[in-house]
Amino acid sequence: MRLHEMSISAIQHALGAGELSAREIARQTLEAIARVNPQIGAWTAVTEARMLAEAESIDTLRREKRPLPPLAGVPYAVKNLFDVAGHTTLAGAELFSQRPAAAADSFAVRQLRSAGGLLTGMVNMDAYAYGFTTENSHYGTTRNPHDLARIAGGSSGGSAAAVAAGLVHFSLGTDTNGSIRVPASLCGIYGLKPTFGRLSRSGSHQFVASLDHIGPFARRVCDLASVYDALQGRDGSDAFQAESSREQTRPLLDRGLDGLRCAVLGGYFTTWCDADARDAVARAAKALDVRDELQFPDAELARSAAFIISASEGGNQYLPALRREPERFEPHSRERLLAGAMIPSAWYIQAQRFRAHARQAFKTLFAQADVLIAPATPRSATLAGEQTMEINGQPLPIRASMGMLTQPISFLGLPVTTVPLRTAQGAPIGLQLIAAPFNEQACLRAARVLEESGIADARPAEVAA
Amino acid sequence: MTTQQPDWQAYLAQMESVLGVTLDDARRAELQVQFSRIANMAAPLMALPLDDRLEIAGVYKA
Repeated sequence: MRLHEMSISAIQHALGAGELSAREIARQTLEAIARVNPQIGAWTAVTEARMLAEAESIDTLRREKRPLPPLAGVPYAVKNLFDVAGHTTLAGAELFSQRPAAAADSFAVRQLRSAGGLLTGMVNMDAYAYGFTTENSHYGTTRNPHDLARIAGGSSGGSAAAVAAGLVHFSLGTDTNGSIRVPASLCGIYGLKPTFGRLSRSGSHQFVASLDHIGPFARRVCDLASVYDALQGRDGSDAFQAESSREQTRPLLDRGLDGLRCAVLGGYFTTWCDADARDAVARAAKALDVRDELQFPDAELARSAAFIISASEGGNQYLPALRREPERFEPHSRERLLAGAMIPSAWYIQAQRFRAHARQAFKTLFAQADVLIAPATPRSATLAGEQTMEINGQPLPIRASMGMLTQPISFLGLPVTTVPLRTAQGAPIGLQLIAAPFNEQACLRAARVLEESGIADARPAEVAA
Repeated sequence: MTTQQPDWQAYLAQMESVLGVTLDDARRAELQVQFSRIANMAAPLMALPLDDRLEIAGVYKA
């Protein structure tokens, strides 16, 4: 069996049975990355020495017949805004390229290391995490492994492309307004954006502190849940982490829909998308035994408020550098950041207060359903270099609007699993399965039902070398 | 009461000076495009009456 055809639990079994060594996994993975990465432009740095050292640690455990940690020998990649000891944290920006190397791993990378994961390296993103296309003027465009002419989505485009190409079993991304869910949708894989505050963000380069989340990508729901379970943990250094107990979701996946009520989220979410996205919602709704369509009338305002908070906090963060060295900025987002820095404070505070209002309003929907279904993107992947897409009869800027269906949900801070379907033409398109705060297990279980039904399709793309 | 459309060009010129940013005409034009997009989003949000005791949202409590 080829490495990418094995689930995380299959790797564990093979390692335990002595059928495979972690060093062999590392060697195969590094060779595949060297062969395929020039086509997709995902990795900005490969951590070969570290990966081989991590593999040696796992093989030592095997030789000594000691228990293996839950992600032992599993190759992964992280968005290049996570601190990795000994490497400069780029956040997709040339602006940071000369910064000193990180002294220590971020909290999430520490968790994955102690769980036995093998870090392959850091992957590309939209500069500053501000964009939905991963068309990065300095580090290059990350290509969609399913169609190299098309975007991978962003801002965690490298993370999604690395998994979609079958080069790693999982990756880490961040999601402020849709930066996990958009690339997961366009690249045809699963993504999890947990509840706001669930996972520690310590040691990652923030973009919008009020909205930033971290989360994993994978090609299997059980792998996604295993990684999410490993990422959990209390971190006193993250002021935004919520007080919540650890929840092990992997053992709950086989419960199916037992007790879960699913509904379609209509209105704004089924208006601002194309027929492919609506068809994907209809197929999932049938498989999840949906009878109701619910509405969130404040969705458009929620998107606007998220846009304003992002622009304002992001603009403020980069204002000193915009004054000092504007020529070093990503041209795609420089004036967008500057406009954000000039927002009147009344708009920003109104957006933050509206967030509390919208959370209360949305809460009533969970009295009627446990999981809500909505498209993750208005359409499947557009061509690299395209500036606008027509949705609902209107031309919209792709870089800012591919996340218009994800923004209202991350604004509310709700947990979402993205599930990959295919259009009639075979292009990947994803759905959001949205649950109440701290109910990640519900959206993961619904995702598992779609995976088992065969409606979801996360087969890796074969990228010719 | 009539509502006048704000003069965003003048506002941005003021902000350019207040924040100490130096722009050429091309960057100024792009700034106006970007700011106008945000301003269009802000208008309906600012028109929404919110309870005067409503505070900003924090993290969820489990």
